[in-house]
Amino acid sequence: MTSFKDKGEYFTYPPVFIPRSFDVEHYLQGMKLGGTRGIRDSFIIAASTTLLSVALGSLAAYSLARFHIGGENLAFWILSVRMMPPIASILPLFLFFRSLRWLDTYQALILTHLLMNLPFAVWMMKGFFEELPAELEEAALVDGCGRLGAFTRIAMPLVAPGLVATALFCFMFSWNEFLFALILGRSKVVPITVNIAGLIGGHEILWAEISAVSIVASVPIIIIAIVLQRYLVRGLTLGAVKG
Amino acid sequence: MRKKRISVVALLFVLPVIAILLAISIFPLIYSFYLSLCQWDIGTGASRTFIGARNYLRLFTDARLWGALQNTGLELLLGVGSQFLLGLALALLLNRTFRGRNLVVTLFLLPMMISPVVVGCIWKIIYHYQYGPLNFLLERLKLNSVNWLGSNQVSIYSIILADIWEWTPFVMITLLAGLQAIPDELYEAARVDGATRLGTFFWVVLPLLRPVMIIAILIRVMDAFKIFDLVALLTMGGPGQSSETIAFYNYLTGFKYFSMGYASSMAYLQLAIIVIIANVFLKSWKGREIS
Amino acid sequence: MKRFVLLLVVSLFLLGVASCAQAVKLVVIGDAGHNLKPFEWYAQTFKEKFDVELEVIGVPFGEVYEKEKMELIGQTGAYDIMIVFPKFLAEFAANGWLYPLDEFIAKLDPKMEDVTPGYRDFYCKYGGKVYALPYDGDILNLYYRKDLLENEEEKANFKAKYGYELKVPETWDEFLNAAEFFTRKKGEKLAGQVLERDFYGTAYYGQKDQIFAWWGNIFSSLGGVYFNEETMEPGINSEAGVKALEIMKTMHQYCPPDVLAYGYEELKDVFLQGDCFMVVQWPCVGKKGADANQSKIVGKIGVAHVPGVKKDGEIYYRPLMPCGRVLAIAAESKDPWKAYQVIQYLSLETSLDDVSTAETGLDPYRYSHFNHPEAYEMFENVEDAKIYLAGVQQNMEKGYPEMVLPGTVEYEETLGVEISRALSGEKTPKQALDDAAKAWTEILNRLGKENQKKMYQELVKGWRAAGLWE
Repeated sequence: MTSFKDKGEYFTYPPVFIPRSFDVEHYLQGMKLGGTRGIRDSFIIAASTTLLSVALGSLAAYSLARFHIGGENLAFWILSVRMMPPIASILPLFLFFRSLRWLDTYQALILTHLLMNLPFAVWMMKGFFEELPAELEEAALVDGCGRLGAFTRIAMPLVAPGLVATALFCFMFSWNEFLFALILGRSKVVPITVNIAGLIGGHEILWAEISAVSIVASVPIIIIAIVLQRYLVRGLTLGAVKG
Repeated sequence: MRKKRISVVALLFVLPVIAILLAISIFPLIYSFYLSLCQWDIGTGASRTFIGARNYLRLFTDARLWGALQNTGLELLLGVGSQFLLGLALALLLNRTFRGRNLVVTLFLLPMMISPVVVGCIWKIIYHYQYGPLNFLLERLKLNSVNWLGSNQVSIYSIILADIWEWTPFVMITLLAGLQAIPDELYEAARVDGATRLGTFFWVVLPLLRPVMIIAILIRVMDAFKIFDLVALLTMGGPGQSSETIAFYNYLTGFKYFSMGYASSMAYLQLAIIVIIANVFLKSWKGREIS
Repeated sequence: MKRFVLLLVVSLFLLGVASCAQAVKLVVIGDAGHNLKPFEWYAQTFKEKFDVELEVIGVPFGEVYEKEKMELIGQTGAYDIMIVFPKFLAEFAANGWLYPLDEFIAKLDPKMEDVTPGYRDFYCKYGGKVYALPYDGDILNLYYRKDLLENEEEKANFKAKYGYELKVPETWDEFLNAAEFFTRKKGEKLAGQVLERDFYGTAYYGQKDQIFAWWGNIFSSLGGVYFNEETMEPGINSEAGVKALEIMKTMHQYCPPDVLAYGYEELKDVFLQGDCFMVVQWPCVGKKGADANQSKIVGKIGVAHVPGVKKDGEIYYRPLMPCGRVLAIAAESKDPWKAYQVIQYLSLETSLDDVSTAETGLDPYRYSHFNHPEAYEMFENVEDAKIYLAGVQQNMEKGYPEMVLPGTVEYEETLGVEISRALSGEKTPKQALDDAAKAWTEILNRLGKENQKKMYQELVKGWRAAGLWE
């Protein structure tokens, strides 16, 4: 947190906590070096991944939690997909996407991130759904609501805090992901993580630009976090519970 | 009759996820398994040769691998353990409404939201022996400066510390969301029944929180095996091998030395370990589930 | 008949126009940042002279190898011009991923005689063919604080303690003496001033990817060789190797405590911020040292050859040449000839400008670079530039090559891990080097001993021909 301010001096003694001058120039420079494109690309990928993961993941999670479909094994298999160390999957994925001619495209990265985020979303939501007593939905079903209705109108709103947390994390994982972004992207798709890493040159480290771009890169996430906060920390009572 | 209807709907809910995951993961899984049975040192221009299980045998005689696993194990116990306890404590603290709570929560989210590359840079500055704020503070307190990154005793702990700083927020937010989902009525009921605060905590809150705790820990355990950025930016695994994690060594083998066959077998070993740990963990926790 | 001829002329003309209008698009990949700047500066020139448009892709420095390799393995044909670090050259060439340049060189001469022997012969060739043109000449030099050497008080104290005049260390013993002498704690005096913080004799690159080069300087001057060329037995744990590591261990005491975590940045800063007396480092440090924004010791830097060993009345020194950059052309490039023209231009015509400016990290590698001190604008005056260039040139002429073999990275890093272990006290120098030698043999066998032997012998032949190998 200190280093956010270190735009003037870096390795000096005593450590400089407040820079001599708040130079806006570094921000502009950082943006020029591909920052804006980086943010745009990262955003497209992260947003898509998050939406897909949360939507599809919650559906699956609900099914797993309520109906215990596939038993333990299915749930575990879904999680195990995420356990694979990326190192091993990178070369096959690279070749896979290359044969589809999907290198350096958004869909390649979105799909790859789904590999990480879907299992995550499923298991997170599963945990939240399991926390929920089933009586509420039973009541709704008795009232004539279909399964899908019970899902969308009762269960989902109740796990809103969980939804938000999951969405936030999915977005973040995708936003901060580096390895796949580096290998599967090239010139048309350059997420911000690769961009920042590029500022760490062999002979010089552009600390100023790194700080600047990182701050700008963090802004979208912070905004999203603040917006979603309301749902995260909202109390539960939605007036539907009785007895 | 009703049972069948449930199954169809249930299946439909789950289908998209299964389809996507299967499509993307099946090829890498098979391919890398095949690779792990081959010797493919891309560097020399040699082509793939099938050598059966020899890579796996090599794993067992590789001292560097076991050193790396040791480091990762240390991270698991110390790192994930601390993250869990700290995260739980923080979540409980933040579970009540107070002014400025939103701000506090957002602030706590920061370490996690910053790009890992940047986290590495930040800690590199903090840990600097001569110019870093940490030693500066220690000096002011008349204590000895610590050789955070250059000592083979301390380096792995420096990495673990940075990892705790970065990921405790994850545990905290997850547990907080879980806590938020517990209906107030349950607290009321417990109080009416005469339970103490502590009692409520252990017998009402914890059990309900269990599923969420499980997932938080599991995710962190899995990610502990992936710690790479911090090592690469702070110490490159040094001095010697003291701060090398399994992910880092795997990366070196696969991407710097380009022994793809060996790297794949290492990855499968990791997979096996994680699967076993996860299984054991789930079984033992699930067993004590309160209906 | 006339109409036919007219038609022919017109269509030929149109054809000519059409082909001119389509500038060839070439993709360049290299480490992101200032080293790619020349490609941007001369974009217009490339368009006009060679009809080439460049798309420049910058990749994080630490990941250039992986990215280039991935794309080459996948045969995506994505790149035309690649900035390659010489240690990968062998690998890339061995796999047939690079376009051999000999025929082009015959057509358009890059004046390789002007390039210092180290770079010309070691880093651009493989298997007898040329695959790249030099772009950045990295070599290790000894930088020291000449102001401290000139201080009378220090001189007197030194003479009293060691029995000879304080001067630039030329042998490793002198180096150790100087390092010991100048390691002072906070509160002691240095050049008449009381130190606010600890001052160190020296420092080195501690991270395991390049640490071998610092050990290598000592090792090479003691006559060490990587492998025995007949038996391919590793030579790193020979007497020379162990002695070198022991010298380094002594040196370690005069370094900052966290030196084992030092990378490029830390090493540069400890010297430029005025915290240590001398360092062995790359040429760019000299140029940065003249920049008041980055250096607190402007004008106080001396540059000399790395220390060596006294042999037959002469000082025998061999600085290592780690890193460096060369320009290569992908075998699958759409227009290798055009690509060659571009890299030849950069390696010859504009190279002086590129290495002498503060805006890139590129370093001199041609004799013509050394002969024009006035071009180096970052120095306050030509004298400083001359000192700098003289020092670097001295080192360039006796450069000791990195091995350019497939598997070099693995050899270097494995050695680096063991060196690092010895220095941190985990193992004794002999033990560490023996383990390293064992690891090298294992790597050798795994990569195919016969193959490696052949290639190594080729390398040695080339080194001998350049007069840089016994």
